[in-house]
Amino acid sequence: MTSFSPHRAFAVARKEVMHILRDPFTLALALGLPVMLVTFFGYAIDFEVKDIRLAVYDRDGGPAARRLKEIFSASGYFRPVEPEAAAGPIGMLDSGRASAALFLEPGFSRTIKGGGEAPAQFVLDGSDNSKAAAVAGYLPGIAGAARLRLSGPGGGEPFYAETRFLYNHELNSRWFTVPGLSAIIIGLLAILLTALTVAREWENGSMELLLSTPVRPLEIMAGKLVPYGVLVLAGVVFVYLSSRLVFGVPFEGGHLLYLAACVLFITAALSQGLLISVLARQQQVAMQFALITGLLPSMLLSGFIFPVESMPRFFRALTMLLAPRWFMAAVRGITLKGADLSELSEPFLALGLLAAGMLALALKKFKTDLEP
Amino acid sequence: MDGFSIRTEGLKKDFGPVRALKGVSFDLSAGLLHGLIGSDGAGKTTTMRLLAGLLRPTEGSIVYSGAGGPVSFTEVRRGLAYMPQQPSLYPDLSVEEHLEFFRELYRLEPEDYARRSRELLDITRLEQFRGRRAGLLSGGMYKKLGLICALLRSPSVLLLDEPTNGVDPISRREFWGLLYGLAAGKILILVSTSYMDEAERCARVHLLESGRLLASGEPRSLLKAAGAASFEDIFIKKAVV
Repeated sequence: MTSFSPHRAFAVARKEVMHILRDPFTLALALGLPVMLVTFFGYAIDFEVKDIRLAVYDRDGGPAARRLKEIFSASGYFRPVEPEAAAGPIGMLDSGRASAALFLEPGFSRTIKGGGEAPAQFVLDGSDNSKAAAVAGYLPGIAGAARLRLSGPGGGEPFYAETRFLYNHELNSRWFTVPGLSAIIIGLLAILLTALTVAREWENGSMELLLSTPVRPLEIMAGKLVPYGVLVLAGVVFVYLSSRLVFGVPFEGGHLLYLAACVLFITAALSQGLLISVLARQQQVAMQFALITGLLPSMLLSGFIFPVESMPRFFRALTMLLAPRWFMAAVRGITLKGADLSELSEPFLALGLLAAGMLALALKKFKTDLEP
Repeated sequence: MDGFSIRTEGLKKDFGPVRALKGVSFDLSAGLLHGLIGSDGAGKTTTMRLLAGLLRPTEGSIVYSGAGGPVSFTEVRRGLAYMPQQPSLYPDLSVEEHLEFFRELYRLEPEDYARRSRELLDITRLEQFRGRRAGLLSGGMYKKLGLICALLRSPSVLLLDEPTNGVDPISRREFWGLLYGLAAGKILILVSTSYMDEAERCARVHLLESGRLLASGEPRSLLKAAGAASFEDIFIKKAVV
């Protein structure tokens, strides 16, 4: 065996530099991606949970109750809202239109005025474990501010709040992470599987033959979506079984509703993969695109790790276009809250629109000739 | 079915700054075996793809005609079969699975398919390899499978882009034998090749060089007119006949 030759290694390196310089995608990926991701997610990710919708069920209506609402509002973390007549505070938590609820019973203001300690109940949505824990952490600060404003300096505790975590009483983190992870895994799997399929046809030359036959783009798309859809649905069964049997995640809702959410989400993800595949035409590029657009947004912008509510307005709007965000909400709603379709109409509508939109876009971009 | 004829008029095709075809005009008629002859980079594949509707001409036109006059490409497409130059079959599918796949794409009746596939497998002697995956076929057998897939629906226009490229001489001879048999019908066949000796196997040849048509006509007449002993000589001299 010949010894290591720096000259030959240099020749290989020089050839590699030529490859990189002649491949604008790799160059853009290496130089542009870190800058883009740091800037993008640096703005989007905020560990502080803000703008928490607090459904206040004020059966007291007295001055102390009003002041307590002002204290919650002034904290900057909470946005007190009137409970919807039909749904009530718990219904709002079920549907995700509120993340916390405050119950104030009649006599709350009178008890405080009389120097007593009034009871209050604080109910948090425990289906989002990290958010619930963060919100619970704000309560001592609120209690301190309330003490100053309601009882005055040197005064005692004006109220004692019983805090309850709905849907996940002990804030079992697995109940929260497993359904969330399943959304990420299912989504990524679906995107990756289809991202390669059309690109593979272009790369191995079979697309040229296929396009010369009477087959239509919609037929190619449907023919590619259905088998991979079934494959990913089979994956969903395994994810479901391991969630239930290994991690003991409860399942409070309807299985048919869960299946419908999975079908919509998988359709959206498969269509996203097809769109990538149609645009990329090369498996390697398609794979990189699939990972960047499939994994990162679903990890960081779906509400899995960082609450959507705490993101800046622009990123909150952006998450509306991400199917994992809506699937995450639907799955947590179904599994942990036992929510029904009426309570999950928003995520279902969004998933349906995204699936249809992504499919239409992939179809529009599907090339029926070999023009560059 | 009456055959189609094709006329190209001043066909030009640009890829960015590169002009691959520089005004090519020729006629192709049914019942004849046409050869598109040229060296690498002459514009053969571009011409084939234009005729197959996979590329759009930058300038010029392609006129397809039937017995009653000009017809649309949509009509021609129903009976068009194209075999690309580059490997385009699925390496993990067997010979039989390829035939089944194309049967479904062409929506052939079961009886027609059974008869046609039996005939084609018999002629190409691929019957014994029905279960073999395309990726494991030899170069010649692979090309024959491509031809079978193209012929499965009895096309009226058959475009074969360098079907004998990289194929051993015996398989090439067999391949041309198959094409002669096909040309006896009312089918329009255009075969491109860079093997100059194959030009003499065609009834009509169209010589392409650097995107220009050097000449069109019967092989012997062209050789005689150019005063060349072979088509290689014509290309070497770049003689315009």
